[in-house]
Amino acid sequence: MRYRFLTSTMALAAVTAVAALAPVLAAGQATAGEAKVKGATRTKTAGADRTPPRTPWGAPDLQGTWDFATITPLERPSDLAGKEILTAEEAAEFERKTLQQRNPDRRDGGAQADVGRAYNQFWWDYGNKVIGSKRTSLVVDPPDGRVPPLSPEGQKRADARSAVRQRPAAGPEDRNLWERCILGGNAGPPMLPGPYNNVVQLFQTPGYVVILNEMINDARVVPLDGRPHLPQSIRQWRGDSRGRWEGDTLVVDTTNFTEEPNFRGASEALHLVERFTRVAADTLLYEFTVHDPKTWTKPWSVAVPMTKSEGSIYEYACHEGNYGMFNMLAGARAQENAGEEAPKK
Amino acid sequence: MRNLLRGGLMVIAMAAVAALFAPAQPPGYKARRTADGKPDLNGIWQALGSAHWDIEGHAARPGAIVALGAAGAVPAGLGVVEGGAIPYQPWAAEKKKENLKNWLTADPEIKCYMPGVPRATYMPFPFQVVQTPKHILMTYEFAAASRIVHMNRPDFESPIDTWMGHSRGRWEGETLVVDVTSFNGQTWFDRAGNFHSDALHVVERYTATSPDALMYEVTIEDPKVFTRPWKMNMPIYRRLEKNIQLLEFKCVEFVEELIYGHLRKKPGK
Repeated sequence: MRYRFLTSTMALAAVTAVAALAPVLAAGQATAGEAKVKGATRTKTAGADRTPPRTPWGAPDLQGTWDFATITPLERPSDLAGKEILTAEEAAEFERKTLQQRNPDRRDGGAQADVGRAYNQFWWDYGNKVIGSKRTSLVVDPPDGRVPPLSPEGQKRADARSAVRQRPAAGPEDRNLWERCILGGNAGPPMLPGPYNNVVQLFQTPGYVVILNEMINDARVVPLDGRPHLPQSIRQWRGDSRGRWEGDTLVVDTTNFTEEPNFRGASEALHLVERFTRVAADTLLYEFTVHDPKTWTKPWSVAVPMTKSEGSIYEYACHEGNYGMFNMLAGARAQENAGEEAPKK
Repeated sequence: MRNLLRGGLMVIAMAAVAALFAPAQPPGYKARRTADGKPDLNGIWQALGSAHWDIEGHAARPGAIVALGAAGAVPAGLGVVEGGAIPYQPWAAEKKKENLKNWLTADPEIKCYMPGVPRATYMPFPFQVVQTPKHILMTYEFAAASRIVHMNRPDFESPIDTWMGHSRGRWEGETLVVDVTSFNGQTWFDRAGNFHSDALHVVERYTATSPDALMYEVTIEDPKVFTRPWKMNMPIYRRLEKNIQLLEFKCVEFVEELIYGHLRKKPGK
């Protein structure tokens, strides 16, 4: 049931973003450049073998549309424990298996599974390749490729959130920020590959970098002039971002999150540091480190290579057509009125 | 001779029509240049005035919410429509009145929907111009709406109708000209019910008149709603505060009660 509600939101999102799919699909094939990333981990040599293109004012030019679709999972799967990098054969097998498991066009799971697979392959755009380094996880630190354990406080919040998500929604606040159309599911900050619309466009002027995610058209304007963060009293869904150059790497520091950042149950104490490095003409290495002692027992880091796309970013009207939220709430009330027992999951 | 005279009159008449739709005379100010030699329109800008309440000239009037008293009343405005009145077709003039009467339930702004163009420009919120040679991003504080102006791609058609329109831009001397099409017809011009259809075609002209001001001229074409094209114009001002930045006004969270409140779980259920 819960899954059905979830997919109804996704349906509307997918419908409103149909136009977005074409360029992404085309771009998904151009992953050759990733091979130039020497391991997904950031190393001192990353980018050292080439000088990135420059803007007329001398900054590294990171502009363009970048595609971050991949089927490499955030965390290393347990059956690959201890294995950091796949061989070419293993990677091909991993891709084959993953795509088969995900394929919603399968009809071998019975009626209930078929309902869950109502959105056929057309709607999904996870990508079909692992990242070029063939690392088994996007998490690069800790070295086991797994997100560190939650702190006791983080666990408590996660349990409370889980209970809320699993009950029929009492109101819109029971659902996540994406279903409420406040922030894009894969747009963060930080960005992580999601089911579709895995594209971001970067714009640069002498004083700013703007990070525009297609998912809900979030434009994050990042000043580069060294100004201080907003006062602590001003909290924002997307936080407050400040940027600077470290060599050829753009470093974006984000604080001032609300008590519900759009990232895996993080808290308002989230301090996010993102790094963007153009390691090849068609590859932007995106790395981030998550500091949030109220949620995780230690900081952790992720690296996602993004591939240059020639496609354009299109409008994504989420809230304007959020029939999913209406249906979730109307469905929950109908259940109550019918005296049905609330579903366990 | 008579024919000549008539011809002469026609020329004068045509010149008058042309003048109506031609860009205003460049004010002579030459803007600072970007690295690629174009007028530099980068910055955080905002319109002043009461066009967001009503683009036509209007006296002050009471607001729709009694409890808001003076704070909710509509401030007067000289109007930003050239010639004063919008040339509605008769049915559309009626529809506009309906819209105004039903403002609270009918205005897409109230539901936090993307405001469309040109309304986004003169909402009482700042917007930022991020100018690069190929793309000019316009990002608006209201509803975190944004649009990309595709420069020098006249053949790039939108594959789909949109709230914020499909924007194609070019430079004409000192002026950024943006041609906006592919609207879905669901946006309005203001809080007074002024509206258009999905046939809307907007041509915007942004011209710097000083380091801290732009003249914003808009031509509106919509043969389904108006009897002829018409124009609005207004200055837009640079926000000069130290460390000015767009702040977040997502607004979805502010309208959830309005839109979904009737679907909340009732106490005791």
